[in-house]
Amino acid sequence: MPPANQLLVGMAEIKVAKGPATFTCLGLGSCIGLVIIDEQADVCGMVHVMLPESFKDKPVDKPGKFADTGIPELIAQMEKLGASKSRMIMAYAGGAQVFKYGSDSSSRLDVGARNGEAVTKILKAMGARILASDIGGSNGRTVTVNAEDGEMRVRTVHGGEKTLCSLKRARRLAA
Amino acid sequence: MESGHRNFGLMEMSAIREMANIGLGHATTALATVTGKGFNMEIPNVETVAFERVPLMFGDPEETAVGICMPIEGDINGHTAFLFPWASAQQLWQLLIGYAPETPDEIDELSASAMLEIGNIVSSSFLNAISDMSGLKLHATPPMVSVDIVYSIAASIVAEAEIEDAVALALETRLYGLEGLDITGYFLCVPTMGGLNKLFHALGIPEAA
Repeated sequence: MPPANQLLVGMAEIKVAKGPATFTCLGLGSCIGLVIIDEQADVCGMVHVMLPESFKDKPVDKPGKFADTGIPELIAQMEKLGASKSRMIMAYAGGAQVFKYGSDSSSRLDVGARNGEAVTKILKAMGARILASDIGGSNGRTVTVNAEDGEMRVRTVHGGEKTLCSLKRARRLAA
Repeated sequence: MESGHRNFGLMEMSAIREMANIGLGHATTALATVTGKGFNMEIPNVETVAFERVPLMFGDPEETAVGICMPIEGDINGHTAFLFPWASAQQLWQLLIGYAPETPDEIDELSASAMLEIGNIVSSSFLNAISDMSGLKLHATPPMVSVDIVYSIAASIVAEAEIEDAVALALETRLYGLEGLDITGYFLCVPTMGGLNKLFHALGIPEAA
C-alpha cells in the first residue's frame, strides 16, 4: 500500500489535496483549524488561522495567518484543483483560551474568542455550509481530518479523542 | 522577512544573552529560596525565531506541558513564559507542595496556585534584574497558567504577540538540582521591537540601522 498523503498544517499554513490525504493541525490553542471538502471533486483543504484580521498597514506575508485572508485563499487553492464553491462543506475547531488558571486571565489573551467570532462571521457572510464547529473553551485541540472518509476528529489533553463530524456522510444525508 | 524574526548584530545578541543570564540567574536564586533546593541554571541556547517556528521548539509538539505566561508592562511591553514538560512540572510540584498531580485532570487549587507562584517569583526577579541593569521601569503583571498540548500553549502566546510588533527570543534552559533533579524548562521572551530598542539604547548600544 502506498504511504498515505499525511499533511501537517502548521501555524499560518494552507494545505490542499486532491484524492486520499489526512490533514492535521497540531495543538490548536487560540488558533483555528478550518477544513473544507468538495466530495464530488475529491478535493479537501485546511487552513491554520492565527489571527482574526490582517493588518491594514502591513503587507500580508502569509495569507493563512489571518481569517480574512486565509479563508478566501484556501477556497481559491481548492478551486484550482477543480473544487466548486457551491459544493463546499466546512467545519472548524479551535479558538480556545488555554490559560485557564490565574487571576484576570479572562480579560487577556483573548485572541481565541476573537478568532472564533471572525471565522464564523466570514463563513456566514459567504453563505458557507457549515457542518460543525467546536470552538472556545479552555482546551487546546489537535484536529485530524481524513479526506477519504471525511471524518474530523478532535483530541484534547483533558477529554481524549472524539469524532466531531463526518464531512462526507453529511453531504449524502443533505442530498 | 518572517514575522517575529530579526537578525541582530553581535552587540545586540550579546546584550540579549547577558540580559538572559542575569535575569534568569536571579530567577533561579529565587526559585532555590522557595523550594529550599540548590539549583543551577544553564542556558545552552538563545536564538531569535520566526513566530511560526516557536511552537516547534519545545520537544515533541504534542507533549503535555505546563506553561506559565507573564505579561510585562512598563518601558518594555511584551510577554515572557516558562514552559515545563509534564515530567519536569511534576518534579517542581513535588518540591513545592510535596505531591504532584498524576494527570492534568488531577490539578487542584493548590497545585495550580503553586505554578502561579513560581510565575510570580520568576518573573518579578527576572524583571527586577533587567530593571537594575538598564534603569528601565518594568513591572510584572499577574501570571497565567496553562496545562495543555505544548504547541497550543506556545502558539497562543505568539498569536497574542503577533498583534504587536514583537520579536521572539527563545531560550532553552536546564535546571540542575543538587539532589538528582533534572528539570528541563524553556523560557520564551517576546518583547516588542520598540521595547527592545529601548533596552539596547539604555545599555549604550547604538540602534541597528
